[in-house]
Amino acid sequence: MTKQIYFTIALLVTLGVFSYTIYRLTSFFRLTKPAFPVRDIGKRIRLTLEVAIGQTKIFRKPVIGLFHALVFWGFLVILIGSIEMIIDGLTGSERVLKFMGVVYNIIIASGDIFALIISILILVFIARRLFFHINRFEGIEMKRRSHVDANIALTIILLLMLSLLGMNSAHCAMEGSGEGNLVGLFPVGNMIAGIYTGLSHSTLHLLHEIFWWSHILLIFLFANMLPYSKHFHVFLSVPNVFLSRLDPLGKLVNMDSVTREVKLMLDPETAFAAPSGDEVPIERFGVKDVEDISWKNYMDALSCTQCGRCTEVCPANITGKMLSPRKIMMDVRERMKIRGPGLVKNGKEFTDGKSLIRDYITEEELWACTTCNACARECPINIDHPSLIVDMRRYLVMEEGSAPAELNTAFNNIENNGAPWQYSTEDRLLWAEGVEIPVMADLFARGEKAEYLFWVGCAGAFDDRYKKVTGAFARILTHLDVSFAVLGKEETCTGDPARRAGNEMLYQMQALQNIETFKAYEVRKIITICPHCFNIFKNDYPDLGADFEVVSYVELLDRFIKEGKLKLDASRLKELTVTYHDPCYLGRANDIYEEPRSVIKSVASNYVEMDRNRSFALCCGAGGAQMFKEAEKGDKEIFIERTEDALKTKANVIATSCPFCMTMITDGLKYKNREDDVKNYDIAELIVQALEL
Amino acid sequence: MKILVCISNVPDTTTKVKFVENNTKLDTNGIQWVINPWDELSLTRALELKDDSSTGITSVTVAHVGEASSEPTIRKALAIGADNAIRVNGEPVDAYYVAAQLSEAVKNENFDIILCGIESSDHNGSTVGGMISEFLDIASVSAVSSLSIENGEAVISREIDGGKEILTVPVPFVAVVQKGIAKEPRIAAMRGIMMARSKPVKVVEPIAVDPLTSVEAFEMPETRAACKFIDPATAGDLIDILQNEAKVI
Repeated sequence: MTKQIYFTIALLVTLGVFSYTIYRLTSFFRLTKPAFPVRDIGKRIRLTLEVAIGQTKIFRKPVIGLFHALVFWGFLVILIGSIEMIIDGLTGSERVLKFMGVVYNIIIASGDIFALIISILILVFIARRLFFHINRFEGIEMKRRSHVDANIALTIILLLMLSLLGMNSAHCAMEGSGEGNLVGLFPVGNMIAGIYTGLSHSTLHLLHEIFWWSHILLIFLFANMLPYSKHFHVFLSVPNVFLSRLDPLGKLVNMDSVTREVKLMLDPETAFAAPSGDEVPIERFGVKDVEDISWKNYMDALSCTQCGRCTEVCPANITGKMLSPRKIMMDVRERMKIRGPGLVKNGKEFTDGKSLIRDYITEEELWACTTCNACARECPINIDHPSLIVDMRRYLVMEEGSAPAELNTAFNNIENNGAPWQYSTEDRLLWAEGVEIPVMADLFARGEKAEYLFWVGCAGAFDDRYKKVTGAFARILTHLDVSFAVLGKEETCTGDPARRAGNEMLYQMQALQNIETFKAYEVRKIITICPHCFNIFKNDYPDLGADFEVVSYVELLDRFIKEGKLKLDASRLKELTVTYHDPCYLGRANDIYEEPRSVIKSVASNYVEMDRNRSFALCCGAGGAQMFKEAEKGDKEIFIERTEDALKTKANVIATSCPFCMTMITDGLKYKNREDDVKNYDIAELIVQALEL
Repeated sequence: MKILVCISNVPDTTTKVKFVENNTKLDTNGIQWVINPWDELSLTRALELKDDSSTGITSVTVAHVGEASSEPTIRKALAIGADNAIRVNGEPVDAYYVAAQLSEAVKNENFDIILCGIESSDHNGSTVGGMISEFLDIASVSAVSSLSIENGEAVISREIDGGKEILTVPVPFVAVVQKGIAKEPRIAAMRGIMMARSKPVKVVEPIAVDPLTSVEAFEMPETRAACKFIDPATAGDLIDILQNEAKVI
């Protein structure tokens, strides 16, 4: 009975402290803004089973991934035993779940084995942290506190496992030496029980009680420490995965408040009218401080265990720039800890003279991101860093107008001449000089229609190198008798660079204008050669009312080959050794990895893969509007790092399928002085070479 | 102190210029109009000065001569940060007309500093600023490449042959401004565009002014000859071409 009383007191204290923690966190969550709606429960359950329970993303690093997965699965099994201990503690029962019979034995035996495995793995983890230099555990954001935090958590886990093994073995020794009615199955406990030979039953009983109490009290302690440590992920990672944004990585959340304003601006009736009195003032565009983030951003920050997988794959970080996606998450959590209590106490008006942007996260960090989504793809618990980075850019651009000067120039160009570069709309068809390319307006005037709108894109129309790719692809379309037309002078920037750079207003103005054009020509299907155009059409435009099918030329070529319409000979370009650089906005953003490879292999049998390929591919450095600005300070250009990846394969052709990647890789080859022996071709150009079109 | 920035509405620089009515008028079809780049930089500098509370600048006004179709350009200037605007509702026929209208519209407003871009990127007449100072009978400083306010006085620097001239100028005056007055033009943030909708724009009717010039005709410059490439193998041909074809050596 005394045991029950002590136990109840301990449990009540634990629950009391824990409730306070939850209360405090809830008050912080209340400060945040709504995020996406949580729908598609079935899909979410599947995702949770796969990513959280199945640990699929952690296995992207197979060895250490397996170690972590074993610890995680072990915890799940041992959790059942812990629940039993709590019931036993409260009711005075002994191993209350034993009625489950065989199932019980399996659970207990697994827990027993896992306790040993986890102990060994935790020792490995501790050794790794203490004696090996793991790059991703370092960085400007990794202060001494983070390391101490990690080591304390590992030590407690180790003690938990040792106390469990102690308890199990004492139980075996005690029950085994007694009446032989051993409850449960303890393969490891039984082995260890040997060391207790000669101890009396009461000594064994005492030992068992000591281990039992140590174990349960450690659990209580651990549970209350976790929310204040980076190991809060023990609680939050599963729910964080369940509550992930289900959209493709390439999609950004539409800012409806901006849509309302842009529609007012585009309507001549309201464009210059003074705002009517009943409009609700918009508090702030984008994220400046923690009260602007969504609940999901905050949950991401709390769930982050600082493993550094995101930072390790960040192209900006790899090349010595200030940005570290992990730091963004840590800063958000830290900022809420500092600012949250003041906001809770004094309301929205509370200020401490600081803000998340600038005092925690510098503009330099924010402008270093290429929105390549490598961090989000890598995060084992689906933390979404790039969306938050873009939200902070949105604040800088839409509230302060303080983007880097080169980006302001690009914005002005998009607004004035419909392309990020300063070219006249009149010149949009110069790429087609000398060939007959059907133009939508002409077809329409004749009462004809084309099946596909071929969206050329600004690079396809104005970039001298990429104009050749546009020409090549148009020749393939003509060769295959595909019914298509271009918009010509009526084409204007999709708004992608503006959007990724935080200028949501300019993006929406472009998008709404384009959607009108598509509607006017009754466009149902669009082919793109630029992955950035492809992505924004596919993922972002539907939020603004777009309703059409969009297909990347890579998918289309692959389909034509598979259907036998496009006949190619794999030995055609046999003198070439080809490697392929995955554009982020086809790959990670939209999971198009195999189509381009199969197209290349259908004309060039000598195909080699870079070390970092498919979802692991390194960005070329141009995405997220980086194409239109100087790179932030660092020790290397990203395009050089990527070109080196490609040169390592010894291929003599680097194939790409994106205008920006092409510019970057071509620059890389120039920089490396390899222009003569290594060529950079687009996939469409390889086909044209093979077909001799 | 109050600053006035005179704003001209010009075709975007990528516009393919075409003429109509026997080459006497610009074909405005499909043209995207923007703030004259020199005026945009003047406005940027004026706003920078206003942002710095030590300068004592209390307001920045923009003034423009143009019909209602130029309203977007004025709103753009307000979105960038000007406090209010004056539009003289007339077609800007020539520099004299524009200067006369602007002077009339602002003569009683007591602006301390009037900024005019040195030229507009459409007709490049470079005369409006000087004329305004004559109309208003105040000083003007030409080719201003920097402007600051120190201890309540306007300090100006001008590019002169082989160097720089630094002047202090008593207000009121007109500064005819070169590029360089501000580094990069400020852009309109979303918030600015929203706020611009409720900023005051005073529309005044033009006075009767006879322009001093009339357009006889516009002529397009000859198209530039295509670039000629010489194969590195026959680089020696370059001398021959320069001597006999281009006749430059």
